[in-house]
Amino acid sequence: MKRSLALVLVLTLALAFFARVPSSRAQDTVTIQLMGWSSSPAENAALEEMIAAFEEANPNINVDLQLVPEYDTTLQAAFASGDAPNVFYVDSSRLPDFVDAGVIAAGGDMIVDPEGFFPSLVDVFTIDDTFYCPPKDFSTMALQYNKALFDAAGLEYPTNDWTWDDLTAAAEALTSGDTVGLVVPPELPRWLPFLYQAGGSVLSEDGTEVTFDSEEAMTALELYLGMVEDGIAAPPSELDAGWGGEAFGTGRAAMAMEGNWVIGALEENYPDIEYGVVELPAGPAGEATMAFTVCYGVAADNDHPEESWALANFLTGPEGATMVAEAGFGVMPAREDAAAVWLETRGIEFEAFVTGAANAHRWQFPVGFGDFIDTFNNGLKEAMAGNMLPEEVLEDSVAIAEEILAE
Amino acid sequence: MIEEKSPTSGAVPAIPPQKVTTMRTTKFEETVAGYLFLTPALIIFIVFLVIPLVIAVYISFTDWNGITPLRDDDAFETIGDDNYQQLLTQEGRRQTRFFTAVKNTTYYVIGVVPTQTLIALILAVIVNQKWLKARGTFRTIAYLPSITSSVVISIVFLWLFSRGGLVNAFIELLYPAYGDKAINWTDDSTGVFHWVLKQFGVTRADVGDWASEKHYGLRTWDWISGPSVTMLMIMILNTWTTIGTLMVIFLAALQNIPSYVYEAAAIDGANVWQIFRKVTVPLLKPTTFFVITLGLIGCFQVFDQVYIIGGGDATLTVAVLVYRNAFGTGSNMGLATATAMILFVIIFIFTVVQRRFFGGERANW
Repeated sequence: MKRSLALVLVLTLALAFFARVPSSRAQDTVTIQLMGWSSSPAENAALEEMIAAFEEANPNINVDLQLVPEYDTTLQAAFASGDAPNVFYVDSSRLPDFVDAGVIAAGGDMIVDPEGFFPSLVDVFTIDDTFYCPPKDFSTMALQYNKALFDAAGLEYPTNDWTWDDLTAAAEALTSGDTVGLVVPPELPRWLPFLYQAGGSVLSEDGTEVTFDSEEAMTALELYLGMVEDGIAAPPSELDAGWGGEAFGTGRAAMAMEGNWVIGALEENYPDIEYGVVELPAGPAGEATMAFTVCYGVAADNDHPEESWALANFLTGPEGATMVAEAGFGVMPAREDAAAVWLETRGIEFEAFVTGAANAHRWQFPVGFGDFIDTFNNGLKEAMAGNMLPEEVLEDSVAIAEEILAE
Repeated sequence: MIEEKSPTSGAVPAIPPQKVTTMRTTKFEETVAGYLFLTPALIIFIVFLVIPLVIAVYISFTDWNGITPLRDDDAFETIGDDNYQQLLTQEGRRQTRFFTAVKNTTYYVIGVVPTQTLIALILAVIVNQKWLKARGTFRTIAYLPSITSSVVISIVFLWLFSRGGLVNAFIELLYPAYGDKAINWTDDSTGVFHWVLKQFGVTRADVGDWASEKHYGLRTWDWISGPSVTMLMIMILNTWTTIGTLMVIFLAALQNIPSYVYEAAAIDGANVWQIFRKVTVPLLKPTTFFVITLGLIGCFQVFDQVYIIGGGDATLTVAVLVYRNAFGTGSNMGLATATAMILFVIIFIFTVVQRRFFGGERANW
């Protein structure tokens, strides 16, 4: 008796295991899965609103929005198991991996009105002359300054025409007691603008050669580390903060170089702070900043490619971009027309974030450069602690970059 | 126990045999029944442990990126022991990072396992004393960290140990001069031995060229400069959270020691220390083996606290390296599984070695 019961149980389980859930192809409505990560509640609400508008315009498409924690891990597992969402967020730094793995569909002609995007953003999502995915929105790095601390020090507010010398002079004048002039996170993307402002680069234009071992890189490193050594700048952890924006918010740093995300964070956690935003100071080779951007990727292995592109195009098209702009949260829409709307909603004082798009560099490296980033970050931290020399940081990083390219 | 053996003697009065069965058929039926009862657990074990393990071993010999669906024909290529060579023998960034992780993890294990075992033992002996009032309360307090989320504890520790946090404030209270050079516990990659030497003005440059020579991708100086300050903080954190569980295990074993053993020792004139050293500790040997084994395995696999606290290469452990290789930018599942396999071998070796030291006769667990 027991044995037959067990047998029935095992058989049932086996049946359940192998039985295929009948596909919903027969029905007219198509369900598109959209996977992303959760940003601020305001941003999530805006996205849900956009999706509702899309569903109304396309009654035969049903969008299943999944905002997941540990996004990278979840998405990767979904790909690996062959059960990828139809549409998903792609961070610019991750695109080369996905292209290399062949899991992301090449957008090309499927992308509506590509001329409307900021050219620098189209460039970010273009690999080997293929425009893969339409950019969702973007952030650029700019200089934030605490007005009260500038007033107290009797300094004039920074301008868009600032140079490195202005920055260091102001940082020195602003340093007193617990407060330092500038917060400098020991992270590659925060330092890269200085490299580009100095005229340096990590890789050659075509990405085949390491150009990091240069005078310019040394100049930029010495500036960044020199400010720490002089005590006029410090990493966030030295200022009891988890990141630059926090150190700026608590007033431990009079200036910070953060992206658009700082707007929402300051509003939420430090609503009383009076601050302004200007473009990053210019170096010997002029102005430069970084653009951090995310696109809507469409899965290569996709049962409903047309509907997926319809969704991606709606969310990033003129209409979608305008909705992003009007919601007015921290990040900026990727279309130039909509960016103007964003400024209207957000206020002209944030103009520096938009104008930064003109000289923004991409946050993206070829496949395998994660080790390079880790090595550099680690070196930068060690150098800030006084355990490594700037030239050692450069030497180690160059060696790693060359090793990766050689593979 | 007695019932199991009894069918041979036929002394099972409660259930009289209904038909004549030979010993052989009884045995057979028992075996079948046994396996049937085992089946659910066995299925789970095979599906979630054995199969993934076999697949993982296979993947460690491929270059799978962890993204391309495995069912695709070109998802991966078999590359032999390339991944293992890159980690172990081939000079380069992979070797450097792997041995950084091995170095950090080793210091971590050496620091945490003896400390937590010793403290747990002492705590267990204390809360086992009959004269101690409110023993239950003390036991609960000591056990609380073990049942609290490690994520929450890690975040609380980040606050406690931040530059302007309570720990530094407390040290400053004791040594007012400390304030000027307060340690930034949460983000200091300096090795602790290096830190101590630095207080005496000794640095890598002073001691000669041997310190800057690289072995397995790391400078000799880095090998011997100990766990980083941040790692030390994580070690303290983990010791504190684990001792509760280990204390409970020791406590259970202590209560199994019959009181007549102590009485006999007391009559023989042994003092408290002698009783502890010559009676309690030897009788706890199997438990100690168990606790150390648990500790070793747990410590070699330390992940969540390090993942949350961060700290880059200074706190990189092997388990975190596995994760870093497997997910995120530049994911390489082949390399990650190879790393995990080596970690498995390391844990296996350590367990076997310490079994020789503490296991003695077959440990009863």
